[in-house]
Amino acid sequence: MVGLECDLLVIGGGATGAGVAWDAALRGLEVVLVDRHDLASGTSGRFHGLLHSGARYAVKDPRAARECISENRVLRRVAADCIEDTGGLFVTTPWDDPAYADRLLEGCRQTGVDCEELAVGRALRQEPLLHPRIARALAVPDASIDVWKLVGALCRGAQQRGARVLPYHAVVAISRDGEEVRGARLRDARSGEELEVRARVTVNAAGAWAGQVAELAGIDSVRVLPGRGIMIAMAHRLVNTVVNRCKPPADGDIIVPIRTVSVIGTTDEHTEDPDDQRVPEQEVDALLDDGERLVPNLREARALRVWTGVRPLFEDAKAAATPTRDVTRAHALLEHSERDGVGGLITITGGKLTTFRLMAEETVDAACRALGEARPCTTATEPLPGSEEQHSYRLSERLGRKEGGLRERQVVCECELVSREQLEQQLARGGVASLDDLRRRLRLGMGPCQGGFCIYRATGILHEQGGITAAEADAALLEFLDERWKGSWPILYGDQLRQARLDEWIFQGVLDVAHLPA
Amino acid sequence: MRGAVGAEGEDQLVSATADSPHDALRVGGGPLDELLRGSLDHCVKCTICETACPVAAVTPLFPGPKYVGPQAERFRVAREPVAEWSVDYCSGCGICSTVCPQGVKIAELNARARARLKRQRGVPLRDRIITRPTLLGRLGTPLAPLANAALASRPLRILAEKTLGVHRDAPLPRFAGWRFSRWARARGGTLSPARTGARRQIVYFHGCGTEYYEPWEGRRMVELLEHLGFEVLVPPQDCCGLPLQSSGLFPDARRAVLRLARSLAGPGGLAAAGEQTLIVGNATSCTLMLKREALEILGLAGNPELELVSQRTYDICELLLELHHRGELRTDLQPLEETVAYHAPCQQQGHGIGKPALELLALIPGLEVRELSARCCGIAGTYGLKAEKHQIALDAGRELFEQVERSGATSVACDSDTCRWQITRATGRPAHHPIDYLYRAWGLERSVARNGP
Amino acid sequence: MSAAELGYDAVVIGAGTAGLTAACRLAEEGARVCVLAKGIGCTHLAAGTVDVLGYLPEAAAEPAPRQRPTGGPTAALVREPAAALPRLLAALPEHPYARTGRAALEEALAWLARTVLAGPLPGYRYLGGLERNRLLPTALGGLRPSALIPETFAAGDASALRRVAIVGSPALRDFHPRLCAENLRRTGVQARPLSVPLEFDRADASTLTLARRLDDRAFRARLCAELTPLLRDEEQVALPAALGLRDPHAVWSDLERRLGRAVFEIPTLPPSVPGMRLFEILSSALRRAGGRLALGAEVIGAQRRGARVHSVSVRAAGHERRYAAEVFVLASGGLASGAIELDSRWRASERVLGLALEGLPSAGERRFSPDYFGEHPFARVGVALGPQLWAREVENVLVAGAALPGALPWREGSGEGIALASGYRAAQLAIEAAGLARPARSPAGAVL
Repeated sequence: MVGLECDLLVIGGGATGAGVAWDAALRGLEVVLVDRHDLASGTSGRFHGLLHSGARYAVKDPRAARECISENRVLRRVAADCIEDTGGLFVTTPWDDPAYADRLLEGCRQTGVDCEELAVGRALRQEPLLHPRIARALAVPDASIDVWKLVGALCRGAQQRGARVLPYHAVVAISRDGEEVRGARLRDARSGEELEVRARVTVNAAGAWAGQVAELAGIDSVRVLPGRGIMIAMAHRLVNTVVNRCKPPADGDIIVPIRTVSVIGTTDEHTEDPDDQRVPEQEVDALLDDGERLVPNLREARALRVWTGVRPLFEDAKAAATPTRDVTRAHALLEHSERDGVGGLITITGGKLTTFRLMAEETVDAACRALGEARPCTTATEPLPGSEEQHSYRLSERLGRKEGGLRERQVVCECELVSREQLEQQLARGGVASLDDLRRRLRLGMGPCQGGFCIYRATGILHEQGGITAAEADAALLEFLDERWKGSWPILYGDQLRQARLDEWIFQGVLDVAHLPA
Repeated sequence: MRGAVGAEGEDQLVSATADSPHDALRVGGGPLDELLRGSLDHCVKCTICETACPVAAVTPLFPGPKYVGPQAERFRVAREPVAEWSVDYCSGCGICSTVCPQGVKIAELNARARARLKRQRGVPLRDRIITRPTLLGRLGTPLAPLANAALASRPLRILAEKTLGVHRDAPLPRFAGWRFSRWARARGGTLSPARTGARRQIVYFHGCGTEYYEPWEGRRMVELLEHLGFEVLVPPQDCCGLPLQSSGLFPDARRAVLRLARSLAGPGGLAAAGEQTLIVGNATSCTLMLKREALEILGLAGNPELELVSQRTYDICELLLELHHRGELRTDLQPLEETVAYHAPCQQQGHGIGKPALELLALIPGLEVRELSARCCGIAGTYGLKAEKHQIALDAGRELFEQVERSGATSVACDSDTCRWQITRATGRPAHHPIDYLYRAWGLERSVARNGP
Repeated sequence: MSAAELGYDAVVIGAGTAGLTAACRLAEEGARVCVLAKGIGCTHLAAGTVDVLGYLPEAAAEPAPRQRPTGGPTAALVREPAAALPRLLAALPEHPYARTGRAALEEALAWLARTVLAGPLPGYRYLGGLERNRLLPTALGGLRPSALIPETFAAGDASALRRVAIVGSPALRDFHPRLCAENLRRTGVQARPLSVPLEFDRADASTLTLARRLDDRAFRARLCAELTPLLRDEEQVALPAALGLRDPHAVWSDLERRLGRAVFEIPTLPPSVPGMRLFEILSSALRRAGGRLALGAEVIGAQRRGARVHSVSVRAAGHERRYAAEVFVLASGGLASGAIELDSRWRASERVLGLALEGLPSAGERRFSPDYFGEHPFARVGVALGPQLWAREVENVLVAGAALPGALPWREGSGEGIALASGYRAAQLAIEAAGLARPARSPAGAVL
């Protein structure tokens, strides 16, 4: 069996894990980062993309609010390329208590979150689709963040400093030497080969699966309560500002403009299984109804896709009878040497994406302590690859780039303006095992046609450049069709149903994918 | 809408004649604007619009209506600067919207995007001039012989191309030297004999093409309508603003069309007439402007005069066909032994009424009509006049010109003046409005001197 | 003049294959017809072949274990539509073919073949019929059964295909010769990919771009000069479906002559050039027969008088216009066109005339299966029918094409067959019922 040695083994390639890898690599540690699937395919890749200003927590969870605003400012500097400065609004709809806005203002003032009340007229001019009878509007520095870009940049940065990043490597066993964790045994999901990693410190950054990973180390005290929530992407930007309902946090009270879509979120149901991907119809209905309170006639607009995300909510010795939303959203750093008498293992769980860097900082601090070395953290000032110019993302610039090379570039995914060049670059970079991997990196197939036109093209390119056989290419195509369908069928109505029917004509009719060679 | 008065001291509903500081897509307020942008949701990327686009077929500079319309619209953010340029190559013909099976308002989205682009980039002097046929007409008419000579002078045209950007070969019309409205006013009331009893009234929207360049067409229209028993009212009129809109000059276009609507609805027009009086026009692009485009593209829905005018406006062939179906059209048409090719302009197709001219021409005995299937002549109003677009316009029209040649027809019937000028320029065949044939078949033709009423 | 009406003998709603077929037939029999269409439809999106029955639905197939499609012709592949149709109808007695009847299907196919031949594309014709499906290569390199095919596809018939060069170009984004060739090899054909620059002035070209080039003889000459030295003995040539828009017969025969071998085209993603040719042929036939077509005319409702539809309302440039007729043919499409719609509260409705639907899933039943290739209960929905193709709710509306319930055309490989047969039959029924036949009118002038 092949073996690797490193200082730090990080289990979990979401934002937290990638953040730990980046932080540790900056500090000169040798890092190996692993994930059982593709990077950011867990909770990180399944949330709505909101970079909190902290206002949402200002009233009930001041600690979280302070952390958020602080990290918000840091990330705007160091991860500018991944962040779009949409700004945020908290609006009082006819269903909300106008007095809450005062509490929010006060809470923000106390926690240092910038918050300014706007004239309603101005808010409506800024966001014309908002409910015309909103009573109050507060502006806050919410933003939207592209988590794949973020995780990609974190990993690239870590790799540039010597880290190894291994997606599609599942942990099959955690190696213990008595009371010391020494690393893990991994299995490559594609080749089936096993790989032994010996690490001085192992970080369990598996988010909603952290409990499962801890159990592999013989520790059953990490109780993560998965909180399953659904989100719906509307096919175009109904708003260009993050819009929140000005009320105590509840279901369906946010619309986030992220890239070319707007996402309504979210619901919150306890589940036992972090892999729970159910989309119950009543939640879909409820979310659409909630969305209509912010944007009237939302149901007339096109719903593109629905998916689930599972929040890792950490429960620390407290019997939960309350809905998971009230369990703390703060993160928890668990140094198992103290808690459970098992050395060499640190778990970081809970938290929210906005505070990933802080979570990573605390984790690597703890890891350094375990290593007996003092190495300072620089992630608050060191820009990520791609963010050196501190130029934040602007959606229209993608159109500009395409326009800049109108005759020279071939567009594979027209909805999302993904060029052939970009596809080939990703393939050359390696680590692409499926069209879904390409989707995460490039947004291939994420637009209104959901791959109707680009899947065939991408499959052809994958076959040509990816060194795979036609049978493998066919399988990749079918797998991707399956994957797209998963998020489509529960929300299939109106325009998206028309699209699905056309896509069926293309794939099952013209291309006859149900009868490819055996 | 409730709410505090904004910091700028404005009310919530932005008035139709001012530009919103935020978003060209939002001017005018109200659900109609979002109807436009929201219509992009209907796009299923089927490419049907691309197959029909006459410009994308002939140049890679224009990536096609699907691309610059619903697809690019998802990437446009109101507060960000305009990042594109290719939408300027859209000719505004509107064929894409006409053929779209899902109801995406593609041409309208493109028009909006172009207006934003122009606002940011600035509008060349040329675009401010050629989009004002009224201004040009007023200047050129009294000096018609001189003006026409200048327009025909090759050196001057080359100079105009180099300085202004109007292509030297662009099919510019000649000034007639007399104005239709003057003739109408001088003529006074109805001359046509015979019809006793109450005459039904109709308002005639002649547009600037008829006013300055083809006033004899206006005369034919009036005489024809009177022949059918109408009393024709001709209120004072100016340009409908379509050329301004096509070049992205929205504030000016709004002013023009609202002024026109006020006049058509006012004491010289609908207000002086009986209930349910219609407005009829022979310029099919301009009647479409009043029917729909001004409301949708310029965001003027809700303006009461324009809404009224829009509801009453008819294209002349549309009107005649309805009369025919009601049995109210005189059918005493004399034979015309000719072969005519018929081309339906893009904007005529935008009316969504099929090709009424064909059914009308079929009533004329002996007239052989060849319906041409090519979609566009390329001129698209003022598009083909522009130096950088002239060749594209010719290429776009090539298929039509070849069909004209092959048809063996001695003349071409076409409902739009700019298209007629383009077709004649390209094929050498005379081109007439379909009503010209009816006019002749009804025996109304007298010698209409072209240099005076 | 409020809500004025234009009157015709028959009004057809929809300008897809079904609508144009019905309208042509009505006009040919002397009826005054007007086609009202929101836009152009399915012709431009489908392959351009006429698929009558490619695969038997499982209910009608030989018993076979239900499995995810992993490929290969299954027991459900239909080699002889004529023989398979009775089995289909026995298993699915409410299938559209049961309502059109076999005779209408056969006549419609023959009618189409004649219409193509007599159409504006000189020499172009369709081959085949119900006796045998031809297995033709897809852009992925699989094989797909079709009954009636353009001559430009014919040399791709797998039963005769031995060696073929699949020709593409890096700029042609909708055709991938390498993948196509490798999959074809797995079916036993000696296929290999061949990439040539094809002189595009852009990096991004569709089959339509290529088709317009191929209409130009000089371009063809240059292409053949480039290709010829690259080809092997007895190797056929396959191109993406772009063998000319205006004169496909000339393009195809010219290429065969210059290259000295058989050439055929393979359909791929929309825009479908063969489909566009079909639209030209059908709309030209309609014009020749004196029928009218209004594009951009969306029907938004109807005026009923008792159990009859008296007229339909069209939204045309912001105005409402009405079209009255003795009989109406609803060929407005199904779910793809939005003529049948499901709203966000899961209510289904027929958007054009407001007619009742049938084939809806029962209360509590899922609308769609989580399995992409599974059985989707909502997929067979259509306008509720009375006898034959008559709508149930009103006396004078016929239904044709994708608006019909009971079929899964893209899985059965029956879309165009249903459209043709039902359009044809609807015209027959309309003429009989409303006594619309008249002595054939003299053609309304040539059409170019």
